[in-house]
Amino acid sequence: MRLAFGDRTIFENLSCRFARARITVLMGGSGTGKSTALRMIAGLQRPDSGKVRVAGDDIVGLRESGLQRVRRRLGMLFQDGALLDSMTVLENVGLPLREHTRLGDAEIRDAVHERLAAVGLHDVDSLLPGELSGGMLRRVALARAIIMDPEIVLCDEPFSGLDPPNVERIEALFQELCHDRGLTLIVTSHHMASSLRMSDQIVLLQHGRAVSGAPGQLATRGDPEIKDFLGADGAALARQVASGSAS
Amino acid sequence: MSEAVRPGTVQRLGGYASSWVVGLGQMAAFAGGIVTAIARPPVRFARVVRAVFDAGVLSIALVCGAGFAVGMVLGLQGYTTLVRFGAQESLGAVVGLVLIRELGPVVTGLLVIGRAGSATTAEIGAMVSTQQLDGLRMMSIDPMHFIVMPKALALTFVMPLLSSLFIVFGVFGGYVVGVDLVGLDGGSYMASLENAVEFRDDVLQSLVKALVFGALLGVISTYRGYTSPPHAMGVSRSTTSAVVTASVWLLLTDYVITAFWGV
Repeated sequence: MRLAFGDRTIFENLSCRFARARITVLMGGSGTGKSTALRMIAGLQRPDSGKVRVAGDDIVGLRESGLQRVRRRLGMLFQDGALLDSMTVLENVGLPLREHTRLGDAEIRDAVHERLAAVGLHDVDSLLPGELSGGMLRRVALARAIIMDPEIVLCDEPFSGLDPPNVERIEALFQELCHDRGLTLIVTSHHMASSLRMSDQIVLLQHGRAVSGAPGQLATRGDPEIKDFLGADGAALARQVASGSAS
Repeated sequence: MSEAVRPGTVQRLGGYASSWVVGLGQMAAFAGGIVTAIARPPVRFARVVRAVFDAGVLSIALVCGAGFAVGMVLGLQGYTTLVRFGAQESLGAVVGLVLIRELGPVVTGLLVIGRAGSATTAEIGAMVSTQQLDGLRMMSIDPMHFIVMPKALALTFVMPLLSSLFIVFGVFGGYVVGVDLVGLDGGSYMASLENAVEFRDDVLQSLVKALVFGALLGVISTYRGYTSPPHAMGVSRSTTSAVVTASVWLLLTDYVITAFWGV
């Protein structure tokens, strides 16, 4: 597919696949279109030309009602959370259940508490988004993204602003969602260590094109641009991941 | 750029005119989207009530205070004019008719644009810039149905109520000046008002004007917020544009309704 904003080309002949029930991390420098790629998969941004297939269906030509049906299979964590700031945490996370199911208040509350516990949050029901720290806000948004048990979860910079224990908690949650429950995760991240540790596939966006492979494979390729992006530490870490000794 | 390719004044004006017409069409389509959303389930009763509270209940003090002040001014100006012709006993009729036919709906509309309309645009614009509307789309919730429709509907329905309050407090303000300060007879003030006001030509016209103004500013303020560029300056410009556009449309529509109703 191709996408340009005015004179600035974001993607030129971009083509990549994301495997089912796997964690794929989209990496690349700032402005390479990682978040835009997620928005295109979600149908929030249309390409100038080309196709975007979600679970086999091309979503580019769909109207809003068609996109709504596709989006029921998706969950998305936005970079800044995108929580409704006039609603409490309980109302925000429970909103998809209230809109699309016939569950009662108590059942919704239980489901919300379960998801909040999974992201390491307790006793935050009555707080408004404005009262949360950046890391808490992102975890609440992640709880909302997975509350409907979607098939595909899109996460835009989920580790940004998180402390190391919470990075590990979210990594473990991603592994569980993917490998135990069969969800497909597509994650953008600048967090090299966690990306290499948890991903099954890395897609590196550079100059409007994509290079993809398993974390260990990328480091061993002779492509100078990939080496530049990973740097010496990243390449060493990728080799450790490939040999299974990364911590 | 060379002289040969520089667009001339006529071309520029043509460009402005065509973009204005396109904008008008987009706003009309947006209004159609709101109407469609009203008819589509689920019923957003709680969200409409909340929007009525924000736009209506929180505007009551402002509207009542402004109505009282305008009524006092009308009472004073009306008395000094009428007394020249020995017609000061008609003060109630003058104050009442001016308020009911014109100043009630128009000034209330301008006050509501400044208070609730601008807040609506800024709130929706901020939701655009923080991706809250995209967040709703990703939950398969239509922002037109969940956010825009309740706010537009609330602004439409609070306007006749607020305008009526403005008029009542205006008439009271005129009474305070005319009867308590100037010394006119209270019975004459109320009797002249009662005799002059007719339901169809005055009260109904006033209510229709307020309803139309409410619908106009509901559509304009939500549209400007919904199409706001996703940054602080964009939200600020959209808010200003909403207030200016809605004020101008309100005054133009006021003339059209008055002319077609028959003065």
